[in-house]
Amino acid sequence: MKKLILIAAALVISATLWAQEPVMEKNLAKLPAVTIQTLDGQSFNTQDIQNDGKPIIVSLWATWCRPCIAELIAIADEYEDWVEETGVKLYAVSIDDAKTSARVAPFVNGKGWEYTVLLDVNSDFKRAMNVNDVPFMCILNGKGEIVWQHTSYAPGSEDEVYEIIKQLSKEQ
Amino acid sequence: MKRLLQSVLLLILIVAVRPVQAQHQLGNSRISGDFGFNGMYYIPDSLIGADEVDSKVRANAFLNLLYSNGGFSAGVRYEYYQFPLIDFEKINYQGQGVRYFFADYKNDFIQVTGGNFYEQFGNGLALRAYEDRQLGIDNSLLGARVKLTPYKGIYITGVWGIERLNFESYIGRKDYVRGIDGELNFGEMFPKLTEKGFQLNVGGSFVSKFERSTDDYSVFLHPGTDSAAIANIPAKKIPQNTPVWATRLSFGYKGFRLDGEFAQKMQDPNISNDFIYRKGNALFLSATYSMKGLGVAASFIRADNMDFRSQRMMNLNSNLSINNIPAINRQYSYQLISNYSYASQPNSQIGVQLQVNYQIPKKSKIGGKYGTDLTFNFSRFHNIENAWTPEALNNGIMTGTEGYTSGFFKFGPDLLYQDIGFEFHRRLTKKWELTLAYNYLIYNLEILQGHMGTMHGHLVAADLLWKVAPKHALRLELQHLYSKDDEGSSVYGLLEYSISPHWFFSVGDNWNYGNPDKGHRLHYYNIAAAYVWRTTRIALNFGKTKEGILCIGGVCRAVPASYGMGLSITTSF
Repeated sequence: MKKLILIAAALVISATLWAQEPVMEKNLAKLPAVTIQTLDGQSFNTQDIQNDGKPIIVSLWATWCRPCIAELIAIADEYEDWVEETGVKLYAVSIDDAKTSARVAPFVNGKGWEYTVLLDVNSDFKRAMNVNDVPFMCILNGKGEIVWQHTSYAPGSEDEVYEIIKQLSKEQ
Repeated sequence: MKRLLQSVLLLILIVAVRPVQAQHQLGNSRISGDFGFNGMYYIPDSLIGADEVDSKVRANAFLNLLYSNGGFSAGVRYEYYQFPLIDFEKINYQGQGVRYFFADYKNDFIQVTGGNFYEQFGNGLALRAYEDRQLGIDNSLLGARVKLTPYKGIYITGVWGIERLNFESYIGRKDYVRGIDGELNFGEMFPKLTEKGFQLNVGGSFVSKFERSTDDYSVFLHPGTDSAAIANIPAKKIPQNTPVWATRLSFGYKGFRLDGEFAQKMQDPNISNDFIYRKGNALFLSATYSMKGLGVAASFIRADNMDFRSQRMMNLNSNLSINNIPAINRQYSYQLISNYSYASQPNSQIGVQLQVNYQIPKKSKIGGKYGTDLTFNFSRFHNIENAWTPEALNNGIMTGTEGYTSGFFKFGPDLLYQDIGFEFHRRLTKKWELTLAYNYLIYNLEILQGHMGTMHGHLVAADLLWKVAPKHALRLELQHLYSKDDEGSSVYGLLEYSISPHWFFSVGDNWNYGNPDKGHRLHYYNIAAAYVWRTTRIALNFGKTKEGILCIGGVCRAVPASYGMGLSITTSF
């Protein structure tokens, strides 16, 4: 019985957590400063994720994550138009570890993706971002503030991403 | 009762904390975090082997809180696994409390961490303290870490810590792990190299575990041998310090890249190697080439006696592993072959992996408007060659001797795993997308799962996506595994309807129609719904899970059969 009560408590609390999520995040946080790597082995500080005042998409993904890949493929089909229209830049941060991180570059090239790809082999960035599971995506405005975050992928959710970056580029 | 109260109080704290953070960011300080709950109501089902469990309602839950202010950050994780899901109970991941906390300060020159931390040196052959929550692995170190960047492109890391084991504490044993790692990044030191398209990194690490030994001689330690054999075991001292060193190199020129790491482990008699005194070693090589539209990756791994843990009597799962010998095969997420995922064999494996990704260009005649992605994969792993030393032969037992010798590049007699796979992906029109896959698998059941035989299987899979209307999509997944071995052939189907970005509904069935045991030709159905709101995901599912193994990145654990209703909630803030 105790267990049941506890679990019920956990449930209620979770529901509370969910209900209290603010509609528009007022505390516009910026990305944490974590040292990860570029595809050619250079250190890269995640605070250097910038785009000259234009919107930025940061996607956490992995080569073994099917929905992640589906999402990045879906965006790749539209990416040229998005860049032209809004100047957006997408940073695809792979959380592949030592087993598969060497295969990230060939994978990305094999898909013909134009994204800026970074490697988070020790999941440091993932932890600093409080990410549970991939795919995880966030959008930054021109000031580098996180305006939108999302977990998991459903086909078509790239349209929402597009609406947001369009809005952001208009606000410039 | 006290514990119960503690848990409730901590959970209440979770609620209290949330409005605080949701409102403001005070100056530069910020509180963020994430929360996960994974619960299940179990229904016994004797047919699939889902036993009656003592508590029908079980759950895993955790909360991470992270405070940061400029270069300073601190974090704490509360875990509630008092009545965990049955698979976690089976691996003893049970308990509750705060087993992860840290404080960290960093600037451009130094980073200092106190408390629990995760770290990896190079590819992890010498040290990898990591976490995989789904598998119930947490090998974080409790201690201190210092990272220095004395000059552009020079990195030095030093660690000292006691390894975590589930909810037990190893602090009392005074056993610990320490290590140092250095890396030179020539591209950062000499920007001209980078400009010309070159990349060169060189690194080295040294890791050592200290484990007190009360039983001084290997003769006392070997479990389960008959007394006649024990009499032959040489009385050799158990080393209390076991060092591992590793050296690595990474070279790149434009689209080409070569990585290599070699590690050697000194004498480490332990339960997984039958208490032999042979040194261990591991070599990991990978070469990749890529240009737009084409990627080729080839890797090689050999591991010999490289199981390295902070307790020599431990060989369950990845508990107390200090290093990680990667399983370099391609990882698939196809349901029907998930039970035949390769598990890395740190003590004996040699193998290769090759993957080619090619995109038939967009807007070409064959490639179609959106291009077509093709993937080819091949991997094959054997055990290493192994010949007992004369001393071991003479004694009739390896324990206490050098054990065996092994030719370095010779493949051993046992094939562990082989995979040949093709994948085709194409967006047919604006509304239709198709993925087709074929795999031929050979899987050594005896060595990888401990029951007789070898599985040969052909898998055919199709994944069809139809964007019914803006935001509405229907996805059909079909798989067929054809095999005469193990549990025979199966079919799997899944239909998922999603309304982006919030709703997911799915219904699926895995039918083991070809099981040689006619009584086990069963259906494992599953119905699920999920709601996603930003970073929050709530999912409900009802159905049956087949007994099997769950593998993530070559690390596997057993999953018992289960039947019931599950609820999972994750959020980050």
